[in-house]
Amino acid sequence: MHRTTQLTLAAALLASFAFAPTAFAGEPNGQDLYKTYCKSCHAAGSAHGEYTPMTLIQDQWERFYKEKYAAKHATAQMPDGRKVLEAITPEMLAKIRKFSVDHAADSEQPMTCGK
Amino acid sequence: MTMRKLTGLALAGALASLPLAAAEPFSHKDAFEHYEGTRTCLACHEDEARAFHGSQHYQWKGSAPQLVGAGSKPLGKINTINDFCTGPAANWIGLVKNSRGDVVSKGCSKCHAGLGELPQAEPSQAQLENIDCLICHAKGYQRDLFEKPGGGFEWKPILWKNQEGLDSVSKRVGPPQRAMCLRCHSASGGGPNFKRGDIEYKLADTDRSYDVHMGKDGADFQCTSCHAGDKHRVRGRGADLAGTDSPANPLSCSTTECHGSAPHGEPMIDRHTARVACTTCHIKTFARDEATDMVRDWSKPKYDAEADRYAATITMQKDVIPVYAWWNGKTHAQLPGEAVKTQANGTVGMMVPDGSRQDPEARIFAFKLHKGRLPVLTDKKWIVPILVEHFFADGDIFSATRKAAEETYGIADAKFEWTDTERYMGIFHGVQPREQALQCLDCHGAKGRLDWKALGYGADPLLIRVTAKK
Repeated sequence: MHRTTQLTLAAALLASFAFAPTAFAGEPNGQDLYKTYCKSCHAAGSAHGEYTPMTLIQDQWERFYKEKYAAKHATAQMPDGRKVLEAITPEMLAKIRKFSVDHAADSEQPMTCGK
Repeated sequence: MTMRKLTGLALAGALASLPLAAAEPFSHKDAFEHYEGTRTCLACHEDEARAFHGSQHYQWKGSAPQLVGAGSKPLGKINTINDFCTGPAANWIGLVKNSRGDVVSKGCSKCHAGLGELPQAEPSQAQLENIDCLICHAKGYQRDLFEKPGGGFEWKPILWKNQEGLDSVSKRVGPPQRAMCLRCHSASGGGPNFKRGDIEYKLADTDRSYDVHMGKDGADFQCTSCHAGDKHRVRGRGADLAGTDSPANPLSCSTTECHGSAPHGEPMIDRHTARVACTTCHIKTFARDEATDMVRDWSKPKYDAEADRYAATITMQKDVIPVYAWWNGKTHAQLPGEAVKTQANGTVGMMVPDGSRQDPEARIFAFKLHKGRLPVLTDKKWIVPILVEHFFADGDIFSATRKAAEETYGIADAKFEWTDTERYMGIFHGVQPREQALQCLDCHGAKGRLDWKALGYGADPLLIRVTAKK
């Protein structure tokens, strides 16, 4: 194999490992999923804007998932190259949505998803 | 653990510009367009702000006629010393980080209804604008500590970069709900139910078997149902608060406005009410949901490796049987700048109920007896607070005490020793219905919970009466 091709493949492999979803001990909860699938593009200082559950109020989160999520992520890719809308299954999205709403800025327990 | 990390909440335009959902019936939805801090409230409510500025909730001190021999000086948590975090004035505001860079403390002002400035006597415009109306009145409002551009710190809404969200929350104005009051009144002292013991988060959403007044299937009272007074002057002071907002309007379940003196319809039980407070029988134990701090020993710093943080050695206890003592509504307090007064058991009474069996105004009340160990100046015998904020990070109790002595009393290089303390804290919440109240033998049986001799009786008075009849 050509050396350049080898390096490219190695780099791609490393990148995919770097973004390998956390090996969850059990079924991942909404916080785990948010941290793995959302924070990767929406951490502090990100060009895509920082979003934690407490960035928005519950109404805004509900409207976001209902009206904007799919459109805003139509062409978005995960760091490993997968399309966001395919990488995040409907089941996973439901958990992420619940975590966002439950810990929104106007909830009784606003949260980030942690470090 | 809640992670309220608020570094750079950058909002993308698409989300921030989403229109609000169908208007909810918020009381202030048409009162203003954008919330721009307390001045938005002051535009209509300056009179209320001025009244609140003078209240206990803002000043953290007030008239203290119930403290025996305390004189006329306004007193309260801001200028006294307690056996929990010792003194809020010395630990008011600031971000204290541990060796990992995590914030371990933000100061006692976290529970002040202000935006970070220390309360001042004069209701200047700056002081009025320092009032945080929303922390008590807006459902869903949350705030956090931020560095000010010019230095120092301030409490700000966590939505300060999300004007649409802030506008929505700031219009949800109404009388304080249980959950709002509990954010401070349950969280004080370091964690859930640490300090009071009988004011638990559970009260926000509970049933009548836990609290007949606040249970949703009971009276479903809000805190303000009993504690509201006029002009932001709250009723009630418990047994161990120094100052009170309403000295002429005390709170008692025995007055005719609530239950009267013969509420049971049973003479044998009603005869108790002249000498036994309602809560004594109707609160069998406290800290029923979450453990409470029963002993706090500041002389023994303890390192929490998981949190990378130091603390006093704290003994927590759950489902605690109260101690019982006579109380006539007045309290003996150990004040700062006064030589400590030692009780018969060798401890210093930080707050001790006044009254005895011979006192016709006194009744037997239930108390949480909090024990502590605090520093005392070796020569003057004055109680010293501790700069706990710095101590949390470095564990240096010696330095934290000496710095506090200098800040509080102007005494450099202070020499101090340790003394044991006691505080009697009235137990008034978690009132249970009659079917769960104490029964006769809980007090009058061979293993009854009352220490009759300590209460001034030769023996169980029922036993004495029965014996005399024979």
